[in-house]
Amino acid sequence: MNVRGLLRAPFAWLDLLCMRAFPEEWNPMAQLGAIGWFMFWIVAVSGVYLYIFFDTGVSGTWQSVEAITHDQWWAGGVMRSLHRYASDALVVMALLHLAREWAMDRMRGNHWFAWATGLPLLLFVYVCGITGYWLVWDTRAQYVAVGTTAFFDMLPIFGEPIGRNFVDQASVSDRFFTLMAFIHIAAPLLMLLFMWIHIARHARARIQPARGLGLLMLVVLLVLSLAWPALSEPPADLDRIPPAVALDWFYLPGYPLMDRWGGVVAWGVVLGLLLLLALMPWLPPRRTPPAARVDLANCNGCARCFADCPFGAITMAPRSDGRAFAQEAIVDPDLCMACGLCVGACPTATPMRSAADFVAGIEMPERSLSALREEVRRSASALQGDARVVVIDCGHGAAVGSTAEHGVATIRLPCVAMLPPPFIDYIVSRQLADGVLIAGCAPGDCHHRLGDRWTEERIAGMRDPWLRERVPRERVAVSWVARADGRQRSSDIALFRARLRELPPIARGVRREREPATRGSRRTWPKPLQWSAWAGLFGMLAFGTGAFSSWPVWQVVGPEQAVISLSLRHAAKTKIECVPLTPEEMMELKPNMRRKVGCDRERWPVHVELLRDGQLLYRREHAPAGLWNDGPSTVLERIVVPTGPQALTVRLRDTGRAEGFDYEDDIRVDLAPGQNFVIQFQADQGFRHH
Amino acid sequence: MPDNLIEWRDEFRIGLSEVDHEHRMLIEAINRVHRDLASGAAVPRVTAALGDIHAAIASHFALEEKEMAALRYDGLQVHKAEHERLLDSILDMLDDVHAAGGYEPDVLGPQLSAWFVEHFRTLDAQLHRWLARHPGAAGQLLS
Repeated sequence: MNVRGLLRAPFAWLDLLCMRAFPEEWNPMAQLGAIGWFMFWIVAVSGVYLYIFFDTGVSGTWQSVEAITHDQWWAGGVMRSLHRYASDALVVMALLHLAREWAMDRMRGNHWFAWATGLPLLLFVYVCGITGYWLVWDTRAQYVAVGTTAFFDMLPIFGEPIGRNFVDQASVSDRFFTLMAFIHIAAPLLMLLFMWIHIARHARARIQPARGLGLLMLVVLLVLSLAWPALSEPPADLDRIPPAVALDWFYLPGYPLMDRWGGVVAWGVVLGLLLLLALMPWLPPRRTPPAARVDLANCNGCARCFADCPFGAITMAPRSDGRAFAQEAIVDPDLCMACGLCVGACPTATPMRSAADFVAGIEMPERSLSALREEVRRSASALQGDARVVVIDCGHGAAVGSTAEHGVATIRLPCVAMLPPPFIDYIVSRQLADGVLIAGCAPGDCHHRLGDRWTEERIAGMRDPWLRERVPRERVAVSWVARADGRQRSSDIALFRARLRELPPIARGVRREREPATRGSRRTWPKPLQWSAWAGLFGMLAFGTGAFSSWPVWQVVGPEQAVISLSLRHAAKTKIECVPLTPEEMMELKPNMRRKVGCDRERWPVHVELLRDGQLLYRREHAPAGLWNDGPSTVLERIVVPTGPQALTVRLRDTGRAEGFDYEDDIRVDLAPGQNFVIQFQADQGFRHH
Repeated sequence: MPDNLIEWRDEFRIGLSEVDHEHRMLIEAINRVHRDLASGAAVPRVTAALGDIHAAIASHFALEEKEMAALRYDGLQVHKAEHERLLDSILDMLDDVHAAGGYEPDVLGPQLSAWFVEHFRTLDAQLHRWLARHPGAAGQLLS
């Protein structure tokens, strides 16, 4: 069993559980993406409300959030909690959606587009979440700020480390909060754009969950918000390291990872994961079935295939073959998922046609209708006993697992809706079998999105092409069953056959009003068990988001630890001293560049060492900035040390000397737990510390 | 027995070029079956030919319904119900031949002719009249 198989099993069971516990249209597993959209809107609306009262600035931010949370707990407090919990639920839904699509192998071939556009969405979700936590400017925000800047300072793209903006309380600026607020608002707008692109290739994309389900989730989140309000940590104080931080583990799990294993590992994990996810659609085993093909000799441009394609792969274009029709169907092979739903919609796809030229207006190259008609005939003729049933199976739902000896012939199609309704008529009216059972995926959860819906509507005469009214609907059954629910499938087949045995022979020429297909009774749990399952699932969602949004608490530094922050920006001496130029040398220079002294721009690196009680804590050479190595060197280093009295020696060399130091300072300090002891430097004043 | 069961007549023209084109093709197909019937063709050949007519007419109705929907033709629902009824009845003819293992050319031919011409006389003629009252409609459709 491969990794996907391992992942598929729990999803199959989760699907089964939801099928048993929820009304058909509520099954949350079939609408994870739509629930994600709904969470996005909750976050957006609550965010707009919070922004009205939010004050950006070093001094005002925390207090304004406190006022929102406590002074108007009944509105602002609830909105804040909703904002957080719906964001957490959004991450859960997005990750579940991603994992499920992967498990169901819906990212290969032309599915790559939705997959690839989903990944930036995930990144945007995290950008929104992280900047959101940053904006509160509590100790958690402080931890996130220091961690995020350290993470990006690993990249050699900044002139000087951006972490120097957070080295102590004095270095934070109001301006920075404006930037954060801008990102926090711009990212969701971009996200919305990508959400729209994400579903662009899906006809009738589902962007709203079932109304009842959405309402119930909103109520659950509201109750959670009232019972367990989201709170801030103490206000940020960069002069102290928060010993422990209540982290939101949905958004911030990368920070402890970086604390523990360092920035290189964190970058490795992030880039590795992203690369793996990005490459997923193209990893082996890779197979793209050929796209549907239009046969112009049989296409009059009726546009039924165009109306039914779930992936927008068909367009109607001006006629190209000179026949007296206005339009023809065109299949875009880059969009076609080879589901065959278009074949089921084609009015020419009728097996009563003569054998010689039985080609429909649109066909699947690997599953021709003339071969399908032969297969139907052959399989049906092998059926034995009474209540003979032809089962049309898509292979994505529960297995059918019966054989011809048992009166059941199974025909596998990419999707059950590939079967044109005249085939059902053909099987029943020619009495090739006593009934036809359509065995598809769980209701509302078709592997190809719309197969179950189109099939039911065609049978019920609500969608073209109709199944002819003369076909007795008690001889046509649908069985929509989740993958893990083999028992339901067997019972559907057995029940259908039992009913067939009791039917009178087919009377020709009899028509009834349009009726739906026969449906097996759906196995659901008794009400108390259903309600317990709801309580369990929604309770888990509520408790999970409530708990993991602030628990377990992450120990940033131990109770007996403090931090020494070495932060300096200093331009070392130039490598060659300035020398007066001779008149000849001056004349060699261009007129506008003539000067009296010549200076080489390149500077020496700055060499910094820190010793604690005579032991070397830090030693590094920092190259000058700039393309010509003529800029200042910058140093930002945070070193965790035990508390108590320390004898520190800090020294710096900014010339080409081989030994010794140009600046040196001995510092005696008694470090308190959690203290952030900052050592800075200025050439004219030497080392400063506080 | 004449060579053709149905001759194309101007009164069949309804004013939508695609639909008129298919009507002509259908008349040709019906006339072919008629000749088969007259020459005593084998049952499988006759049922296959009726099956082909069924497919051709199903696809013709699909196109006609698409155009009626695009024209916002108010008789669409009634017209479509009649289409569905006609599709049922041609299959019944086909099944009768299949089940009986034979056919009466003098019965099946006129049955087929009536099946086709009746539709022209009633609903297609209504559509024709409606198009005459809404002269801009067909032009809009083509543009």
